[in-house]
Amino acid sequence: MPRASIIIATHSRPQWLPRAVESARAAGREVEIVVVDDASSDETAEVCQSLSGINYVRLDRNQRVAGARNVGLVASQGEYLSFLDDDDTRLPGSLDAQLEALDREPRAGLIYGQAILGDQEGKAERSSYPADCPQGDIYWKLLSRNFIPCGSVVFRRSCLSSVGLLDDSIPGLDDWDLWVRIAEIYPIMALETPVIIWRRSTPASGQGTSQTAGLVSLSVQQFRNCWMNLPRSQTASKRARRAAWRAFSENMAEHLLWESARALGRGRPGQALRDLSVLTRLSPLSLMRIVEHRILRVPQTGNPDALGFV
Amino acid sequence: MVTTSVIIPTHHRPDLLVCAIESARTAGTNVEVIVVDDASIDETAEVCRGLKDIRYVRLERNQGVAGARNVGIMKSTGRYIAFLDDDDLRLPGSLDAQADLMDKHPEAGFVCGAMIMADQDYQPTGEVILPRGSADVFWDLLELDFPVMPLSTLIRKECFLRVGLLNRKLSGIDDWDIFTRIAEVYPVLVVDQPMGVYRQPTPSSVQGSSSQATQLRRASRHQLRLLGLPRARMASASKRRAVRRRAINRIADTLLWNAAQYWPRGEYRAVCANIMVALRLNPLRAARPGAYKKLAKRLLTKAVIRS
Repeated sequence: MPRASIIIATHSRPQWLPRAVESARAAGREVEIVVVDDASSDETAEVCQSLSGINYVRLDRNQRVAGARNVGLVASQGEYLSFLDDDDTRLPGSLDAQLEALDREPRAGLIYGQAILGDQEGKAERSSYPADCPQGDIYWKLLSRNFIPCGSVVFRRSCLSSVGLLDDSIPGLDDWDLWVRIAEIYPIMALETPVIIWRRSTPASGQGTSQTAGLVSLSVQQFRNCWMNLPRSQTASKRARRAAWRAFSENMAEHLLWESARALGRGRPGQALRDLSVLTRLSPLSLMRIVEHRILRVPQTGNPDALGFV
Repeated sequence: MVTTSVIIPTHHRPDLLVCAIESARTAGTNVEVIVVDDASIDETAEVCRGLKDIRYVRLERNQGVAGARNVGIMKSTGRYIAFLDDDDLRLPGSLDAQADLMDKHPEAGFVCGAMIMADQDYQPTGEVILPRGSADVFWDLLELDFPVMPLSTLIRKECFLRVGLLNRKLSGIDDWDIFTRIAEVYPVLVVDQPMGVYRQPTPSSVQGSSSQATQLRRASRHQLRLLGLPRARMASASKRRAVRRRAINRIADTLLWNAAQYWPRGEYRAVCANIMVALRLNPLRAARPGAYKKLAKRLLTKAVIRS
């Protein structure tokens, strides 16, 4: 019985897949690699056949990333689980290091690590993300922005039996949503060293996460309809809820401004305008707060309801 | 070695749950019963702790029936999966019979059987629903012309790895959705014998999550998405149109028929909801000459039986 399972959902990217699988193999001992082929219509199946020692699951109907990951969860056997995107790579030995840390803290549900941003070829390019890794009770922090790189996470299977599987109706947000639901109940750990190399997406690279405006509006919906209805948010004070909404708005607005500036720089005013139009759905104070924090450098305060370090 | 995993999602019905678990145990040998407690805040946890030989999974956050079933699938070890609701019953030996049949037909995706309809006190109403059809029931399912319910069905676990898990957003019709998706790529087996007892909901019983009118409206919307499945897309446009029309008519029929049954019991809100949805789906349905034929026929046969 494998100790940990790394689940790689893939869709029509056979050129990157072997690299991801090899990196997953080198990431730890007793690791099972589950490749979920999300109904690729190209040579992905043949490529997977040539890879030895993987658990290959072939979906006949496209279920998108979250659906494919869920199928991977069902097909996997490890007590510890990790997702890896087909174009990212795990660093050697990183999984073992994370498992060792997670074993030391039996109450913790999840451990994440840093990601090195890579270029399109997957070579390390710049500094690692996130710069500081909050640990312990990070629920309120995590509500305001997703600082957890998906591939860097290792979590216990028992978390899933208490919070449920991934939500497959929110493409691009499913991982964030799961971390929020886990962080609501469990303390979170972090290993402050890089564990994966992240291939940066550009609109041209055809990766799923490039549509900023749509993703932000979906996040707003998810924040209001789901995360604010979780028992922990419901029982929090009104002040804490408002603070969470403002912090979320600020981060989203910053993201939108940045993305629209980039779109303008590439000569796409239409896309920039589309990104900016989503600003209206956020808290009206968010722009003011960005000025306050980024230009005037007023220190940010934490959420009043956040517990201390667990 | 576990052959079949029976997955029972439950929410706030500890008294009925015990009967369901007992019926699942007697339904087969080599059966593993997985109870997924969907964040109940009553004595469900204690009741389950008192039961031996079950696998109890406790969800801390409510996931709905489909979400709980998915967690059950993840926890299961059998090669066949049977879903059972916490208020329904499996008949003795039914799981073994279906598992044997599935062993003989390794190509089949699921096997379904007849269902005994019962009232709220598990007393049979005399109605037995039997799905009719041959191996390929994809179009029948798509037309809502194939009455299949989880409680009389045994599914090969491997199917979920080929077509995906249940859709959490389709409360109340997630089973129809998954059966259609499986039937799209797998042949289906049918047995004539009754396999389970279905406790029929009434508008006043708080079964499930939504009223029949809402569910059928959701089904009519979701059918459009199912018509986008590769196999349906390959069919001619006229066939798809015909399937759509027949399904809408069938939904409207069912709604009107049930509205007629609710009326004497004084459940006027459900009557109104059903009629409203039926009219919205198909405004011409109520004015169509044949609309009340089925209704009249069924009322007449009922009267004859009574006399």
